Amino acid sequence: MPLVKKSAPQASGGITVDDDHAGLLQKLSSPEPDARWNAVRVLGNDPKDVPALAAALAIEPMPHVREAIMTALIRIGDETSAEALLPYLRSPDAARRGAAIEALQSLPSATAPFMLALLRDNDTDVRILAIELVRGMPPADATRLLCNVLEQEGHPNVCASAVDALAELGTPEALPALQTCAQRFAETPFLPFAISVAIARISDANGG
Amino acid sequence: MTRIEQAAASLPRVLVVDDSSLVRLYYRDVLEKRGFDVDQAMNGLEAMERVLAQPFDLLIVDVNMPKMDGFSFLRELRRSKSEAAALPALIITTEAGREDAEEARAVGANFYLVKPVSEADLRDHVAVLTGYRR
Amino acid sequence: MARSGQGDHASHVTPEDVRRLCEFLYRRTGMLFSDDKRYYIDRRLNERMAASGSPSFQSYFALLRSDFDREIEHLVNAFTVNETYFFREEHQLRCMTSDLLRSVIRDRRPDEPIRIWSVPCSTGEEPYSIGIWLMENFPEVDNYQIEIVGSDIDTRALASAAEGIYGARALMKLPRELVARYFEGVTADTYRIDPGLRDSIHFTKVNLVDPREMARHRNFDIVFCRNVLIYFDDASRRIAAENLFDCLRPGGFICLGHSETMSRISSLFRVCRYPDAIVYQRPEIERDQD
Repeated sequence: MPLVKKSAPQASGGITVDDDHAGLLQKLSSPEPDARWNAVRVLGNDPKDVPALAAALAIEPMPHVREAIMTALIRIGDETSAEALLPYLRSPDAARRGAAIEALQSLPSATAPFMLALLRDNDTDVRILAIELVRGMPPADATRLLCNVLEQEGHPNVCASAVDALAELGTPEALPALQTCAQRFAETPFLPFAISVAIARISDANGG
Repeated sequence: MTRIEQAAASLPRVLVVDDSSLVRLYYRDVLEKRGFDVDQAMNGLEAMERVLAQPFDLLIVDVNMPKMDGFSFLRELRRSKSEAAALPALIITTEAGREDAEEARAVGANFYLVKPVSEADLRDHVAVLTGYRR
Repeated sequence: MARSGQGDHASHVTPEDVRRLCEFLYRRTGMLFSDDKRYYIDRRLNERMAASGSPSFQSYFALLRSDFDREIEHLVNAFTVNETYFFREEHQLRCMTSDLLRSVIRDRRPDEPIRIWSVPCSTGEEPYSIGIWLMENFPEVDNYQIEIVGSDIDTRALASAAEGIYGARALMKLPRELVARYFEGVTADTYRIDPGLRDSIHFTKVNLVDPREMARHRNFDIVFCRNVLIYFDDASRRIAAENLFDCLRPGGFICLGHSETMSRISSLFRVCRYPDAIVYQRPEIERDQD
């Protein structure tokens, strides 16, 4: 029979069981990608490691090791982790932006303290990404933040993102802000349509 | 019209790819009023499946941040050996910047529009790119 | 569509509602449904609306978003057939012999084994199916050493797998000749798998999110990891995906359950579209992108 049972576990390569914490942190800056890969996958339990992980993330050339560093940060999952990921929202590289957004989406409460500042960022794209993050918050909190955006925001595309998020999870508190926004952008394409759909969905969901 | 009737009338079929359900609804609304048959996909993965499963005449693809998978979908499509590989594509972007225009050319986009897209712009460009005028 | 127990109130679900549900499911679990699966979603959705007492799609969707009473898990369960049987998702087995193995053996010497992993393997139907399929459909099967490993976190399931005894129901998709060739009847309703085949599968216990346990499983060419990642939370899914990446040889393939996608879960793999299945591949050589 060509099917062969190999009973001995494969010993080569893989996670080393023996490294102590200091050894793992050292391996984070090893010139060998495999060493960094294996070290990172065992780290991720101690908030004190966030600075080392953040520093490693900044210079890591290998995509799979970067993913693993972000996973370690997600596992720690406190505000310092979220803070370490925030700068990548501004990355010129689309893959890194996407990776950062996905990572932050797993950390809604850790990201919450930073939301107001992100929603007021100078960069339109950062404000749009911030709205993606708002979707992960409880509807009442999200609604409040998004109404704020609708009231303050000048850029129609950012408003469009906020309207889209409200259409998904907005509470009836959002209706006045939506109506005001529709008037403000009455002459722009798309927004009046989008707002009418959002209003209809929120009303339907609340027996309106 | 039923699908069969539409096919018989050979109405152009358009696939809209955008992660916002409101945007997809909007494009569908505008284009269906003009007699186009509109299908939709919420990301590049779904778009790829639809494009390989049914014939289309035009793709409308959102490539703005953060979902750059609009570009990767088009790249993968152009590289594929499917009949759909050469489908005309209208790209919707948020920036009129040079970076996007070059990337658009690189994935064989036929034209690009900047969001938010007006009804008139959408209708006119789709009509030109599908060669369909009522 | 009115459901009994809801009186005259029709729970009217529109195609747009189904779309929004699919979008949400994709974001939360990575499950993606193609058009031909939409009727299937309708039915499951109506079941869950009735079960949760939701009078409208809107109220059900709000419940789902808040994951009240683990509704997401209930909904996902409704979509995955939890029954296991031989030759389940045969199209992936076909893809294995038609396409994946071709790539695997390209530079493979006869003394280098081909390694295939079924995880979770549950009560063994999947790893045994892989063995049977290879012997029946892989023309070069005698030219290579093939190691099949079946792993699960559930040791009772593993014990059952190692025993290799199945009810007739598990064999329902197998043609009669294959049943005759690879099983022997024990009672009127139970069958034991051929001892030679049984003894050639290596069964191990493993937890997908434990990097150390997973690291003992290495150099796989093909991994079948079906209908389990969708149940994990974000962090655990990432950890499992990284572990699976680590267990694959460069160029190795991973097959997920129907409707599952990897791209939402992890950008480590590249998508490979074959006629019989969509699979994910660990890149051949790790290239840095900078």
